[in-house]
Amino acid sequence: MAQHTLEVIVENSPGVLARVAGLFSRRAYNIESLSVGPTSNPETSKMDIVVNLEGHALEQVIAQLDKLINVISIQEILPNIAQPVIHDTQPDYQN
Amino acid sequence: MSAMNGASSLVASLEAAGVDVMFGIPGGAILPAYDPIFSSSIRHILVRHEQGAGHAATGYAQVTGRVGVCIATSGPGATNLVTPLADAAMDSVPVVAITGQVPSAAIGTDAFQEADIRGITMPFAKHNYLITDPADIPRAIAEAFHIASTGRPGPVLVDIAKDALQKMTDFSYPTSVSLKGYHPKTQPDAENILDAADLIAQSSKPVFYVGGGVIKANASRELLELAQLLGAPVVTTLMARGAFPDSHPLNLGMPGMHGTVAAVTALQKADLLITLGARFDDRVTGKLSTFAVNAKVIHADIDPAEIGKNRFADAPVLGDLKYSIAALIPALRVALSKNRPDLTAWLRQMNALKATYPVGFDIPADGSLSPQYVIQRLGQISGPQTIFASGVGQHQMWASQFISYENPRTWLNSGGLGTMGYAVPAAMGAKVGAPDTTVWAIDGDGCFQMTNQELTTCALNNIPIKVAIINNESLGMVRQWQTLFYEGRYSNTSLESKRVPNFPMLAEAMGCIGLSCDRMEDVDATIEKAMSINDQPVVVDFRVNRDAMVWPMVAAGSSNDEIMIARETAPDWDSQEL
Repeated sequence: MAQHTLEVIVENSPGVLARVAGLFSRRAYNIESLSVGPTSNPETSKMDIVVNLEGHALEQVIAQLDKLINVISIQEILPNIAQPVIHDTQPDYQN
Repeated sequence: MSAMNGASSLVASLEAAGVDVMFGIPGGAILPAYDPIFSSSIRHILVRHEQGAGHAATGYAQVTGRVGVCIATSGPGATNLVTPLADAAMDSVPVVAITGQVPSAAIGTDAFQEADIRGITMPFAKHNYLITDPADIPRAIAEAFHIASTGRPGPVLVDIAKDALQKMTDFSYPTSVSLKGYHPKTQPDAENILDAADLIAQSSKPVFYVGGGVIKANASRELLELAQLLGAPVVTTLMARGAFPDSHPLNLGMPGMHGTVAAVTALQKADLLITLGARFDDRVTGKLSTFAVNAKVIHADIDPAEIGKNRFADAPVLGDLKYSIAALIPALRVALSKNRPDLTAWLRQMNALKATYPVGFDIPADGSLSPQYVIQRLGQISGPQTIFASGVGQHQMWASQFISYENPRTWLNSGGLGTMGYAVPAAMGAKVGAPDTTVWAIDGDGCFQMTNQELTTCALNNIPIKVAIINNESLGMVRQWQTLFYEGRYSNTSLESKRVPNFPMLAEAMGCIGLSCDRMEDVDATIEKAMSINDQPVVVDFRVNRDAMVWPMVAAGSSNDEIMIARETAPDWDSQEL
């Protein structure tokens, strides 16, 4: 399974890391790695989240992350590709 | 701007948010707020347990469409709100909870009555706040009401440290709310509407799969127009009872684990599910891989994470259902003018199932009272304007099956979380929100013993609800599963509630009228007696047969194709033209 890196811009507010980590935990998604750092805007922080998820599960975690009020934007970072992937929160399979 | 302490700023903010009533209990950390509450225009109803405050806020919100408000102190006061807030999250009910917190310097020290309620509610609250600076109070309240009531509604908790309530601040209520990470999309994309209309115009076996979102969006009128335009059958989920009139010939009833044969089969055999504000819950779909296998799916919802979560959507429609359905009507009219499929055969099949397999019940042979009969008569005698709130279990399913719901916001229950004890406090909140409407709580004897303390609140605050206890002296639904799946080994499901407690006496002790009924011929007179009392809460102990079971049933984890209409009895599929 391929690794995917999500660049998540969040409000720089207390508890936001717990919100993101808790979401992964309660929806049973594994985080491969997570790093948090500042951005040029002191009101926001950037989280780089690496996940071992694909397809429907990846789309779901992005859709659920986007529901967190403190999450401002989510982009998937692909190596060597200039354009970020835009997610439409639709699964890619029919059950 | 005016100078005041944080507590006054909180109450002024709640007034500015339009709050007219809140349910709560004071305590140490929230005490500063109760001083300005004493002189506020907001009606505060002093409940007997914080869980009651939370469910009352939910009942109020579901009846009025406004945000329900509950308030509690730190620690145990706040943790007692956890169940109703989780309940509100599962059923998408707009609720704002205010809790006091220990002083900011004491946070993290295991201080007296300290609990991290923000952390505790994080997994299910739509959002929450911990406020330690009084200057942040008005903005947090304004944002909480905005978040709770827009998009997919849900609970928002605002936890405020005691010193933030005590310190002086300048009060200024925000005129607008802007959140960088929260922009619910309300207007559907025209392209999605056209795709949906085209799919409908190609379908010869469509069914409207209607969920609670239609009620939340106040879109019942639009749904009626759309359904009549297409002339396709409609199923209303447990959360959507009343969204579409039960008396309408297109309504096949409730789908799901205890749904009607017609509603369950319509979903299974359809070639198109027109899904409106529903979320493919396991109690509706049964075994997901066998659910509606030949159907394409239109999924209209305001929550993008719901679309495609459990079932792929061929035609997603993201937006507020009021706008989405309104936009679909003219688009469908155009699409049907080009190609109008003949739904006659499909409707004939579904109507045959509806006629052959109505929900029904047997009168017990031993002369004991039938619970279904009691509930059916409650609905018939009280009439379609009545608001019903139920607990969770057999009585809930019967109240959904045997009462005809004609109007939205007349059926309240705990659908998603399945919270026993919901009925009495939710009915209290409903009656506060709709004081001129008859409100019946239909409760089980198990549920009733979890939250009946709020009858004292009702008696003292002129909230004359009516409670029908469907007393089968058991945790009836659990007992039903023990009958069906555990060889009748009734481990810990007998409550002996025909012996203890004496429900009418318990009711009288709490300032209510207590009645009791155990004979079929007395049911009407007892209901009419209860209906005639409007200055006091009334509790009726209906002592019913304990072996009655809820049918139809799709066993948990089974396919909807395996629906049973009675024990070991499937519908006679061979005689149906499907």
